[in-house]
Amino acid sequence: MSAPEAGGADAAGSTLVEELAEVPPLSTSLRRGLVASTVAAVRHDRGLTPFDLPAVRLAARGLAADAVRLTAYEHLVGATASDDLPAGFVHVLAFPVMTALMVRPEFPLPLLGMVHLANTVTQRRPVRLDEALDVEVHAERLAAHHRGVSVDLVAEVSVADEPVWRGVSTYLAKGYALAGESAERVERPDWRAPTPTGAWRLPADLGRRYAAVSGDHNPIHTSTLAAKAFGFPRTIAHGMYTAARALAEIGEPDAFTWHAEFFAPVVLPGTASVRIAKEGNGGVLDAWGKRHHLHVSVTAP
Amino acid sequence: MAPGRPVVVGGNRTPFARAGGHYAHASNLDLLTAALDGLVARFGLAGERLGEVAAGAVLKHSRDFNLTRETVLGSALANDTPAYDVQMACATGMETVMSLADKIRLGRVEAAVAGGVDSASDAPIVVSEQLRAALLEANRARSTAARLKALSRIRPSHLAPVAPDVAEPRTGLSMGEHQALTTAEWGIGREEQDALTLASHQRLAAAYDAGFFDDLITPYRGLVRDANLRPDTSMEKLGALKPVFGKRLDTPATMTAGNSTPLSDGASTVLLAEQAWAAARGLPALAEVVDAEAGAVDFVHGKDGLLMAPVYAVPRLLARHGMSLADFEIVEIHEAFAATVLATLKAWEDEDFGRTRLGLDGAFGSVHRDRLNVHGSSLAAGHPFAATGGRIVATAAKELANRGSGARALVSVCAAGGQGVVAILEAV
Repeated sequence: MSAPEAGGADAAGSTLVEELAEVPPLSTSLRRGLVASTVAAVRHDRGLTPFDLPAVRLAARGLAADAVRLTAYEHLVGATASDDLPAGFVHVLAFPVMTALMVRPEFPLPLLGMVHLANTVTQRRPVRLDEALDVEVHAERLAAHHRGVSVDLVAEVSVADEPVWRGVSTYLAKGYALAGESAERVERPDWRAPTPTGAWRLPADLGRRYAAVSGDHNPIHTSTLAAKAFGFPRTIAHGMYTAARALAEIGEPDAFTWHAEFFAPVVLPGTASVRIAKEGNGGVLDAWGKRHHLHVSVTAP
Repeated sequence: MAPGRPVVVGGNRTPFARAGGHYAHASNLDLLTAALDGLVARFGLAGERLGEVAAGAVLKHSRDFNLTRETVLGSALANDTPAYDVQMACATGMETVMSLADKIRLGRVEAAVAGGVDSASDAPIVVSEQLRAALLEANRARSTAARLKALSRIRPSHLAPVAPDVAEPRTGLSMGEHQALTTAEWGIGREEQDALTLASHQRLAAAYDAGFFDDLITPYRGLVRDANLRPDTSMEKLGALKPVFGKRLDTPATMTAGNSTPLSDGASTVLLAEQAWAAARGLPALAEVVDAEAGAVDFVHGKDGLLMAPVYAVPRLLARHGMSLADFEIVEIHEAFAATVLATLKAWEDEDFGRTRLGLDGAFGSVHRDRLNVHGSSLAAGHPFAATGGRIVATAAKELANRGSGARALVSVCAAGGQGVVAILEAV
């Protein structure tokens, strides 16, 4: 795989690539994440330095999409069942590797309770159902945020050494601090709800249904009790579900950058107003209820 | 065969009922057969083989995959009359008229029946996706154990039936909510919507009273007039109704159950023929189907309103014939909602819209209200989706024949999916 790029891990010194013999099931990672999160919470050790990210890069080779699961994913997010993998489904394939990195003892932030702030995927060409995918994951850019510390989880996907897909997921761990750094709240320009072009009616079991096709069984999406424990009135929709649905509605050009910013969670069941606008081969989509939920853009070079 | 001239010989429909009313227990097959048999009786076609029968329904059960052919087999027409189904949402009836007229013009068909039917009362009920998936899986299973395993996934919540969704699949908005966006965009007020609705009821009632529909309608199941017709409605009564669409928008909600069409049941048919075929049998030729045009807009990305396709299709059609709106004695614009008609007229009268969207030098033109929907339209008659095209074409053709040779009608019907079909009729 490609040489490591500059980032937090490199700043710490040498980087090694550790190849996983098999991708750990997400359920295992989530259990480990739960334990680690509890330990972290008990330790009250919330001060970090920018060099605290693990230097390791995790790799998994020869991942393949399952056609039945792919179809279920495509239908759930509103895409037509195509042999070109939706960019969000490539994220689903890479996600267990990202999670495996986040539950390692040397990863400084707790998996559970982290907030997905933004997600950017750059896809160079369509990825096909019959292709074997190599995934390499690392963490970078530990950064101060006004509510805690954010981190980027980067997944790079290649087919026979050809880079095809790169995803950057930015997560926030609330209540953490970065030594010597602080961040002011970035004021976003006032957002006024525009005239909608459509509506999303999101059923109560959407979290469980997306968990079934994505493998992301984070309990804030599947259990009302767990959602309440994390401060939500009921379960909330997966950010990547909303971003994937937006991508399906805008459409995927051959090569593009898909950027999603998650501003406020979508509580289930719920209805969100939506405005979509085409821009060249891509487009933008906003979804809102009482608050602005998310902004998604697809830009083609 | 030589190329022909397609004419409307006549039409027949059932009175339109309100959903759950007079036709609550009648199926699409029942209603379409009633309309077709009435047409056959009116023009003495019992036992005849016609070139083709084309019809369709928007809300259709999968067992009715051959609805129109089954209707022919159960009708007084000869069983060797071919038939096929068409589905183009609310433009289904218009599409059958357009395609059969084209076949007559080509000389492939001499006489044909166009039509459509819908029953909101007899709408197919769908089971939930989860139940459907489990049943299909059980059906594929090779062993009892596998079958039981598939069936064990069914949860009580999966058993709730799912009524057919009236929302646009790609936007999640109902047709009323879509029209509310267009209504707001064009600033269509409550009073003008109610006034158009009142005129629709008054004109339809007057046409019934004058006997205009005597040879266009055959009573069915005790209904002799459209059940939705309210001859005694008034601006006060319409003004008292509460808005039902557009309540989540910043602008005042203006669309009510009065100035929107109700869910309806009914069927319509139109007999089309090559002019010589009709003449040889001593049958009338009310009007020629001169030409037609289908249109569609990108409502998914908010570029245009869902029901605005005819706004673009009409200028294209008229340009092909070197005509303007002033060339039409009557203009029939399907009243999906009063605001649909008003937004259509406003777009055509708008200088900027004409230049930037229609590519014209200025506004497309205006329609005098005396020429618009002269015998009322869907707001008063009701709107069994696929049956509306046949109702309008037969009504307009008869009115043209009354006015005399050369009189022209423009017919415009919008449809779900951002589509529409428009046509020119001319008295023979």
